[in-house]
Amino acid sequence: MLSTLLRLPFYLLAVSVMIPYYWMATNAFKTVPEIVRNPPTWWVHTFTLHNFYNPLTAPGAAKSSGEFQGVFQIFANTGFAQFYLNSVVITLLTVVGSLLLASLVAYVLVKRPFPGSRLLFYLLLGSMMIPWEVTIIPNFLTVRDLGWINSYQALILPGLAKAFAVFFFRQAILGIPDDLVDAARIDGAGELRIWWSIVLPMLRPALAAIAIPVMLGEWNNYLWPLLVINDDAHQTLPLALGKLAGNLTYDPRGAGPMMAASFLVSLPMVVVFLFFQRQFVQGLASGATKG
Amino acid sequence: MTNHLPASLQSAAPPTPYRRAHPVRRFLVQHSAALILVTPFLLLFLLFTIWPVLRSLYLSFTDYDAISSPSLTGLDNYRTLLADPRFLKALSNTATYMLGTALLSTALGLMLALVFGGQRLSDQVMRACFFLPSVAGGVGLISVFKWLFSSEDFGLINTMRQWLHLDPVRFLGSPAYAVPVLIVLAVWGLMGYNMIMFVAGLRSIPGDIYEAAAIDGATPAQRFWRITLPLLRPTLLFVLVTSMIGAFQEFFSFYFLFSDTSNVGGILDSGLSLVVYLYDLGFRHLQMGMASALAWILFIMLLLLTALNLKLGRINDVD
Repeated sequence: MLSTLLRLPFYLLAVSVMIPYYWMATNAFKTVPEIVRNPPTWWVHTFTLHNFYNPLTAPGAAKSSGEFQGVFQIFANTGFAQFYLNSVVITLLTVVGSLLLASLVAYVLVKRPFPGSRLLFYLLLGSMMIPWEVTIIPNFLTVRDLGWINSYQALILPGLAKAFAVFFFRQAILGIPDDLVDAARIDGAGELRIWWSIVLPMLRPALAAIAIPVMLGEWNNYLWPLLVINDDAHQTLPLALGKLAGNLTYDPRGAGPMMAASFLVSLPMVVVFLFFQRQFVQGLASGATKG
Repeated sequence: MTNHLPASLQSAAPPTPYRRAHPVRRFLVQHSAALILVTPFLLLFLLFTIWPVLRSLYLSFTDYDAISSPSLTGLDNYRTLLADPRFLKALSNTATYMLGTALLSTALGLMLALVFGGQRLSDQVMRACFFLPSVAGGVGLISVFKWLFSSEDFGLINTMRQWLHLDPVRFLGSPAYAVPVLIVLAVWGLMGYNMIMFVAGLRSIPGDIYEAAAIDGATPAQRFWRITLPLLRPTLLFVLVTSMIGAFQEFFSFYFLFSDTSNVGGILDSGLSLVVYLYDLGFRHLQMGMASALAWILFIMLLLLTALNLKLGRINDVD
């Protein structure tokens, strides 16, 4: 009895933690007059998909005053779907690329050391202390001087060599017996082959643990794209959300598409979380997030 | 250090007819595979991590507008910054935000772990609820928060205040509320993550200690203060310091919450953080030298935080 009473405030806290999701998920399907109504409605009275796509404002339809565009119509030049594709592709490439590069380096450092590999390791270790604020200005200048402003490589390449991932994989590879690697070498396997067919499969838990924080960081990355992208074609979802929120200031009717966009941006992460909950918890609890 | 093979097996190169190959040649033959494999990473790492650190340090001693070539000004940037009221405002905002976020999210995280740390299904569901914001709480949710905090009719929080017959508050329009609102956002996103760390920490405490204490007649309160808290100290410190470091570097919520005001820091710089100020200096006013100096001041502060962490608890092991 007492313990239930003690738990009660925490259940209330849980409810308030979920409110933003509930609000987003319901408002995305409310009509705009209902979103801005006072008092707010607690469930969807009039279900609508117009926040996503409003046929009344489609080209060719008779324009009626008071109608607003859905989120897939607002960015007329490229479209919200393009931003979605950009974000998905950039996140995937960054995750896969940084995992492959880092695990390869970690493998070489542990199982195939070369003169200078110890120095490289300490360099990597030391660089983990450097906050991103220090490198962001020179990196912007480098990207600009390379002529990479408004390009996919500007979004992907600077974040690909992750020292903390090397460090993490190194710990995991230290646990792989040397005999296994040596046996493969005697059988004539090259280093690349050994890394790909023997080491990578054994690293699976470590790969998942690193993939998750990298994925989250990339999906939510805002500042770097803000600096290196100023055209429409290469925009990522966070930038598009920023623009939508900016429109909101001038016209509260923008709230409909805004909520729809927020819903669409959060949805993949929620779904991935529900499917890979255990890996998420393990990955984040491994302390690998603070890269 | 890990090769137990005879040297002849280590390289795949065919045996050379000469007894002693040229040292450079021998080195390349022996290590070419390793060198080739690390090259892609190494190039990116040098170009986007090592070189920028050196360049940033150099720029911090110069006056540089990103167009004409930088001119050396010695320590001027650092001197100017340390006397700059906007910098000091940003520093105090960031410090308040950091302490508020770290203390609240650590305390709440610990409480949640104690309440919902069990194996029951309901505990697992509750943990998932609290953990969700650290996964899907980034960019997508911040505009929802803006909407919830809005002082217009549709702002949910002000509507709820009306039910309690409290006057509506302009959360996003009054300087006094800027940092508290940001702290609420940060705690919302962080407490579930900290909870998970504490659950892991609590599980590592052996159960027989509690049993022994119970047999000796220790009350639950005594057990918490005398057993749980001391044994949880490493986790506690780790969570506290990583929360502080994360909060110290926060950019997005500060920037986004005030993105509709003409000033990046919000009204009267009430929501100006150090990183937002860095962005403002470097990319809006094109004072890249000054911004680099700010980055290095930030770096030194973070080093002090990390040193504090190491000193307090030797718990910086990744695994």
